[in-house]
Amino acid sequence: MSVARLKLIALWLIVGLPLAWGVTNTVKNAIKLFQ
Amino acid sequence: MSATAPFGSAGNASSRVGILDRARTVAPRDYDRFLVPPAALAVHLAIGQAYAFSTFNLPLTKLLGITASAPGDWSLKQVGWTFSIAILFLGLAAALFGRWVENAGPRKPMAVAACCFGGGFLVSSIGIHLHEIDLLYFGYGVLGGCGLGIGYVSPVSTLIKWFPDRPGMATGMAIMGFGGGALIAAPLSIFLMDHFKTAESNGVFESFIAMGMIYFLFMMFGAAVVRVPASDWKPSGWTPSLTPKKLVTTANVHVDVAWQTRQFWLLWGVLCMNVTAGIGVLSQASPMIQEMFTGRVSAATAASFVGLLSLFNMGGRFVWASVSDYLGRRNTYFVFFVLGIALYALVPSIGRAGSMPLFVLAFGVILSMYGGGFATIPAYLRDIFGTMHVGAIHGRLLTAWAAAGVLGPVLVSYIRDFQIHNGVPKAQAYSVTMYIMCGLLLIGLICNLAIREVDPKLHHRETEQ
Repeated sequence: MSVARLKLIALWLIVGLPLAWGVTNTVKNAIKLFQ
Repeated sequence: MSATAPFGSAGNASSRVGILDRARTVAPRDYDRFLVPPAALAVHLAIGQAYAFSTFNLPLTKLLGITASAPGDWSLKQVGWTFSIAILFLGLAAALFGRWVENAGPRKPMAVAACCFGGGFLVSSIGIHLHEIDLLYFGYGVLGGCGLGIGYVSPVSTLIKWFPDRPGMATGMAIMGFGGGALIAAPLSIFLMDHFKTAESNGVFESFIAMGMIYFLFMMFGAAVVRVPASDWKPSGWTPSLTPKKLVTTANVHVDVAWQTRQFWLLWGVLCMNVTAGIGVLSQASPMIQEMFTGRVSAATAASFVGLLSLFNMGGRFVWASVSDYLGRRNTYFVFFVLGIALYALVPSIGRAGSMPLFVLAFGVILSMYGGGFATIPAYLRDIFGTMHVGAIHGRLLTAWAAAGVLGPVLVSYIRDFQIHNGVPKAQAYSVTMYIMCGLLLIGLICNLAIREVDPKLHHRETEQ
C-alpha cells in the first residue's frame, strides 16, 4: 500500500472515528424511542 | 517558492513565506483531493460543538450548589444568553472577516478560528472558576463565536475549488461536520463532567479546559493538513461544460458588488426562511413531542428524539447537497420548500392520529432539509456569483442564520405560549405554529423562484481591483 493511500486512510480515520462514536451513541439512544 | 510547490519543500523565497500563508498551502498537481475534506471536517466537527452547548446549561446553574442551584448561582436565563451571543458573533465574524478569510485562507483563518474557539473555552473556564458570567459571555460568546464564524467559512471556498465538478457534495461533506459536531460534543461533555466531578466541583470548570485543548488541537490538525489547488488546476479527466447551464455562471462577481444585488437578498431570504422553520422546531423539539404525545413520551425519550433529529440534520447536509449537484440548486430548494410545506401542514393531523413513527419521520425529513439548506447554499452562491469571492459572500449571507436563530425559536415559543394562555390544549398548541412555518416556507419558495442570473454588467473584470 502506498504512503499516499495510508495518509488518506489515516486522515479519514482521525475525523471519522469520533464521528462514528457520536453517531453510534445517538442511534443507541434513539432506539429507545421506538421501544 | 513556486506556486505549486508542496508544503515543506524548501525554496529560496520560502523563508519569507510564513507557515500559515496561502502560498505554503498550494498542493502539488498530483495531490489527491480527497485528502482535503478531512481538514475541513476537523474544523466543522469541532465548532459543531455549539449545537450541544445546552448540555452545560443546567450544570452551569449549579456551580455554587454543586448538586442543586444555590443562592447566588446563575439562572438558566442568564446562562442561555451565552449561546445566543455565540451565534450572533458567528454571523458578525463570518460577515466581517469573510473577505480576509478568502484572501488569506484557508490555513491562517483555520488557525485563528482554533485560537478563538479553544481560547474561548479557556477564558470561559476562568469565568466559571471566578463565577464571573461576563467572562463566560466574552469567552464562549464573543471569542468562541468569532471562532465559529471564521471556522465555518474558512474551508468552504477551498473545497469548491478542489471539487468544481461536484461542489455541492464537497461543501456538504464539510458542513455535515457542523451537524455531526453536536453528536460528539454531547456525550463528550457528559463524560468529561462525570470524570472531573468531585464533592467540591461539578466538573464544568475542568471540562471547559479539557474541551478547549481538545478542540484547539483538532482544529489545528485541520489547519495543518489543508491544501489549496494551484489556480489553473482541474480534476484529471474533467473539462468544464462549454454549454451554459441555466443559473450557473462561469463569470465572477466581486463580494462588494454581490451583496448589493437582488440575487444576494433573495438567497438571504431563502436561507433565512429555511433556517427559521427548522431551528424553531429544533429548539422546541423536546417539549413538543412530550406535549403532542402526552403520557407516551418521557423526558429521556424526548432527548432521544432530539438526538435523532440531529442525525437527520447531519445526514441531510451531505445527502441533499450531493443531490443538488444533479438536481440543480434551485430545484433542490424547490423540493425543500414544497415538501416542507406539505410535511408541516400534515403534522397536526399526524399528532391527532397519534402516530409517533410518522411524526418522527416527518420531522426527520424536515430537519434533513434544514441541514441540506445550510450545506447547499455555498454551491448555490458559487453558481450565481462564481468562485472568486464565494467564501466572502457566504460569510455575509450567514447573517441570515443569525437572524433566523433569533426569529425561529422566539416565533415557536411565543405562539405556543399565546395559544396555551388562550385555553388551547397543549397537545394542539403547535398546530398554528406549523401553519405559520408553512407560510415562512412559502415566502422562501417565492424568493427561490425569483432568482435569476446576475446582470453581466456586474461581472468582475480581470483589470479591476
